[in-house]
Amino acid sequence: MGLEQYKGDMEMCCRCSACKFIPLQKVAGFQFANVCPSISRFNFHSYSGGGRVNIGAAMLKDGFKYSDKLLHIVYNCQVCGACGVSCNYAMDMEVTEPIQQFRIKCVEDGKTSPALDKVIAGLRQQGSMVPVAGKRGDWASGLNLKNAAREKVDVLYHVGCLTSYDKNMQKLARATAKILQKAGVNFGIAGDAETCCGGRAYQMGYKEDFLNQAKKNMAMIKEAGVKTVVTACADGYQAFKVLYDQYGLKGNLEVLHISECIDSLVQSGKLKLSRKVDLAVTYHDPCRLGRLGEPWIHWEGKKKPGDRFVFDPPKIYRRGSHGVYEPPRNVLKSIPGLKFGEMTRIKEYSWCCGAGGGVSDSNPGFAGWTAQERLEEARSTGAEAIVTACPWCERTFNEAVQGSGSNLKVYDIVELVEQAIQ
Amino acid sequence: MALSKEIYAAFQDVVGEENICDDPVIMPSYHSTEHAAVILPGNTAEVQAIVRLCNKYKLKMRAVCTGWTGMFPPGIVYLDLRRMNRIIEINEKNMYAVVEPYVITAQLQAELMKRGLHMNVKGAGANCAAMLRGHGHLDQTTSGDDRNHLAIEWVTPEGNIVKSGSLGSSDEWFSGDGPGPSLRAILTSAVPPGVTPGVFTKAALKIYHWPGPKQFPVQGVSPDYSLSEIPKNMMARYYSFPSVEKMWQAEIRLGENEIAFELMGFNVAMVAANIAKNNEEEEVLFKKLSQEVQGPGFFVILAGNSAADFEYKKMALEQIVKDAGGKSLKSIEDPRTEGIIMCQCVRISASIRETFRPGGAFSSIPVMGQRDLTIRWAVGAGKAKMPLIEKGLIVDDGGGFFGWGVEQGHLGKTEIFCKFDPQNPEAKAAVEAWSKEQSARAFNERYFAVLMGPVDQMGPGLSNFHLWWKKIQQAIDPNGVSPEAGALV
Repeated sequence: MGLEQYKGDMEMCCRCSACKFIPLQKVAGFQFANVCPSISRFNFHSYSGGGRVNIGAAMLKDGFKYSDKLLHIVYNCQVCGACGVSCNYAMDMEVTEPIQQFRIKCVEDGKTSPALDKVIAGLRQQGSMVPVAGKRGDWASGLNLKNAAREKVDVLYHVGCLTSYDKNMQKLARATAKILQKAGVNFGIAGDAETCCGGRAYQMGYKEDFLNQAKKNMAMIKEAGVKTVVTACADGYQAFKVLYDQYGLKGNLEVLHISECIDSLVQSGKLKLSRKVDLAVTYHDPCRLGRLGEPWIHWEGKKKPGDRFVFDPPKIYRRGSHGVYEPPRNVLKSIPGLKFGEMTRIKEYSWCCGAGGGVSDSNPGFAGWTAQERLEEARSTGAEAIVTACPWCERTFNEAVQGSGSNLKVYDIVELVEQAIQ
Repeated sequence: MALSKEIYAAFQDVVGEENICDDPVIMPSYHSTEHAAVILPGNTAEVQAIVRLCNKYKLKMRAVCTGWTGMFPPGIVYLDLRRMNRIIEINEKNMYAVVEPYVITAQLQAELMKRGLHMNVKGAGANCAAMLRGHGHLDQTTSGDDRNHLAIEWVTPEGNIVKSGSLGSSDEWFSGDGPGPSLRAILTSAVPPGVTPGVFTKAALKIYHWPGPKQFPVQGVSPDYSLSEIPKNMMARYYSFPSVEKMWQAEIRLGENEIAFELMGFNVAMVAANIAKNNEEEEVLFKKLSQEVQGPGFFVILAGNSAADFEYKKMALEQIVKDAGGKSLKSIEDPRTEGIIMCQCVRISASIRETFRPGGAFSSIPVMGQRDLTIRWAVGAGKAKMPLIEKGLIVDDGGGFFGWGVEQGHLGKTEIFCKFDPQNPEAKAAVEAWSKEQSARAFNERYFAVLMGPVDQMGPGLSNFHLWWKKIQQAIDPNGVSPEAGALV
């Protein structure tokens, strides 16, 4: 594993600029045609997916020459994967993976972002990507939840750092727990035994810290004998489902996002959404639930000699086709009274909220700029609220709403489901 | 070749700190060339100021839109026009659109389709600049090359702003030739270096009637897109013919009858590339389709203005194809395939599959001219590809070429390319040799002149045009600021 394995992919870039835009047949007008926040904000081609792999290929060939500009390029990217989806409509080459590996290489070489170093220092000391106040499970006080580390449960609800510790986000944890209780799911939380999934550390390039976290989580899960993990955080979902599998740590663990879980419970009649919620909404696909939530594909092979970029055995690319797109939409459409409309950039070519790749820590201004673009798109649908399925998206949108004085409301899907079942 | 602090500061004063960079780390993403600096102007005034500074400091410059391709001498000032990305006007009544250089075709086309209008889309694809000069799948009904350019705002190599055509005497963009200075021969010249010195900062483009939907009903998740339904009064088919002559006769008659919205002379390899979602699938499909066709062919899209118009066009098409012994390719008749290939070939959203996906690079010889002559040449150029295919140096496309009628066959375009792995030096050398040989053959056997060839060889055979062009160039660019400039890349 490493940047070197993507040398051939990076050399395939034909500089066509498709990575800057949503898939071309989906472009519906002048507005909302861009897909990559980084090139949209910073404009130099080097900030695009193509530009990044051009730089990666050159540095593999000629040696790594770090500069402030290079690090600005590296750390002002949400690693949201949109460039890869647009490229892979037409091309057979990896785009997002080499961008991720380039960042890991920077961290390994000690070329880090001070803001991200600070976050990782917190992770190493306290097992959290956000400042710690109180205990991890404090939010559950009075809910009478099982402790999965001590009691036998079918499902472990992995809450995640932001939802556990951020006072404004703990409502999502409570809503999730109430929904699972209402549906009669035998679930528990790990309380103090829970630790960060490591997903955001990985996005930031700190692979070793990610692996440490992953090993701790999988050891706890093994000890608890849990077969299924549910997360209500897209970063957590991608970590458990995709990244743990990529690094051979997941085993047979079933990983579900809460939207998949609710969709299944509604369809089987175990959860009834009966209360009306009069609201016009649009849905924002979190990158790591959507295109980057696609299962990992284990593959090893060699390029066949000759004219084509083909492999033995054939390589199956992760093109964003198999992310979690329909379950959250099914859930929203199941809520009585809710009016649902789509934005222009959806599903595999959704625009990022801005928080990915640690950008909300390394450059909050850029994260906010990215979120503002999404809020404008949401408003263009006539929606009163933008709904997402990840606390990092919700927090970033809320900050952007406050910054702009907009009256657009921001919800997580579990908040609306909670309203519909009360 | 770094700029001095003084010169860098002068440019920075024009565009701001955020929009200039000379750090070598960005250069691999700018065609792997050591440019003196990359600058991002935001408007015409900034372009003008940059060009004037280039004249003052005797620096060479080149302006680029999306920058798909390009060869650049090291040490130039590279103008990335990305920030100039506004649609200035869509004039539905007079049927033109005015754009800045970084509006991509997909954006303008989508806006036009909403209004029942359309435009010529270059074969390079909808990912490229809308104002790009060139040819493409839609030439049959939307012409091509410089014929779609109307008035142009041009920053000359000396830094003057010239407004051509009607814009030179009014605020109107409707004509490229007047009232006002025409300058068409210079501004849209196709002679070497093939592009106009200086920078086009705005251009008006002709737009056309579009009988299709406001938006194609694309469904599914990438790359598995399809249309939920074939748009009303539209149809896509691929026909193969017993011989090149029969194919060309059918092409001429389709033009004479003005019934095809699009006529694209795809070879089978290009059809396979459009349909297949990856390289492996494409290889298998190419072999399958090669067995299904009887010879060379073309792809047709019909678009009726009414049900009756559509029926008429369909009947006429069927008769013309029948008379030429043509056969419809069954794979395209499958509505799922028909729909997505129709969308791709109107929106020109899959050219990358046809060209770069297999090996990473392609080398092309595109020519304009009388189709019967250029096809005859292309057949030979295709045969010359076969030894390279047999050696595994280029991708097997059966020695295919492609082309189409322009303006209902009034003009013609023929092109042939080799797809190869640019990391393979043997393949690269073989393709370069093939290109040189076939270009020379075209000229020596009097088919046509490939103007991308060496001008000192071509020029004397063509009224010494290169010497005249050099004189014009010296007159408009006395400081040699943009000897190889390209505003429309």
